[in-house]
Amino acid sequence: MVFYLVPVLGGVAVYLAMPGARRDGRFGPVVLGAIGLGAMVVILAGAIGHSRVLFYVLAMLAVVTAVRVVTHRKPVYSAVYFLGVVVCVAGIALLAGAEFLAAALVIVYAGAILVTYLFVIMLAQQSIPPEYDLQAREPAFAALAGFVLIAALAGPIVYRPPPEGASAREPRAGTVDSGKAGGRSASGLPNGQTWHPGNTLTVGTELMTVHVVAFETAGVLLLVGIVGGIALATRRLGAPANGSVGGAP
Amino acid sequence: MIAGATVLVTFQWQCVLLGAVLFGLGLVGFVARRNLIVMFLSTEVMLQGVLVNLLGFNAVYPTLNGQSFALFVLVIAAVEAAVGLGMIVLLFRRRATLDSEAWKQMSG
Repeated sequence: MVFYLVPVLGGVAVYLAMPGARRDGRFGPVVLGAIGLGAMVVILAGAIGHSRVLFYVLAMLAVVTAVRVVTHRKPVYSAVYFLGVVVCVAGIALLAGAEFLAAALVIVYAGAILVTYLFVIMLAQQSIPPEYDLQAREPAFAALAGFVLIAALAGPIVYRPPPEGASAREPRAGTVDSGKAGGRSASGLPNGQTWHPGNTLTVGTELMTVHVVAFETAGVLLLVGIVGGIALATRRLGAPANGSVGGAP
Repeated sequence: MIAGATVLVTFQWQCVLLGAVLFGLGLVGFVARRNLIVMFLSTEVMLQGVLVNLLGFNAVYPTLNGQSFALFVLVIAAVEAAVGLGMIVLLFRRRATLDSEAWKQMSG
């Protein structure tokens, strides 16, 4: 049943991509087509049981969208492509059995942080594309530095010595994977049934027991962020640049 | 197959490789772009690389430290976006440009 959404998405994408269907119909079909292709790959990978195929697809999509984030001339498009990176990373989190992290990624990044970015981009939008968006600053040296870093980080990974014995193991599906934090036995279940705590429960328990101090510190940090954001946003302009401005006493 | 290369069989090393690539791409964007907002977005791409890295190592060890730390990275990213974008709005209201070159004098 879900599979039929894929051809529907593909049809809509092809329609939107037709010349004259929409004036700015260049971006929508790409997104729709990508979603359709992604859904098809998910279904196919589920059918043939290849989660590795899924990882490669997600990784390639993440890299492609990340390249577009850093190369696109319009900041709005950069932000929307960043959404693609976040969704791909959330998919990889799902593959790793980290369902709670995947949900938190989509909610916090795609839902909150990206909207803040879009608001700021809209606030600072200019009618003609400004010069600083059209001309990068030392693109050759930047690419050199970045890709030398990539090579330096990836080289030892690709050319690492072969593992001795069973050092690393494959991650398994969600319930099995989350059971590794386990030690939590079910009480009150009928005989013969085992109870697997979900990933959300195990991560939440971990946060509130092992990392409770860091958890509270993160809460304080969020509070400081709120205070800082409000203090920055309510500053008055026109004050002398060297004097005390805004909320300073 | 690359000569002498070990096959990337495990999820951990796949994740580490992807994290490295994302981090490097974010670095390129941060250095090369002049728009303050895009520079900030590039740092977010770097943070995504870090998240993928944490996920990969979380799959190896029998604890949930990787996932927990990834959640804290998420908190840091949210706070950074709030404060940083507030600063960017302030800078834009002062100079009416998002060009990072406009604030060159801050580099001393």
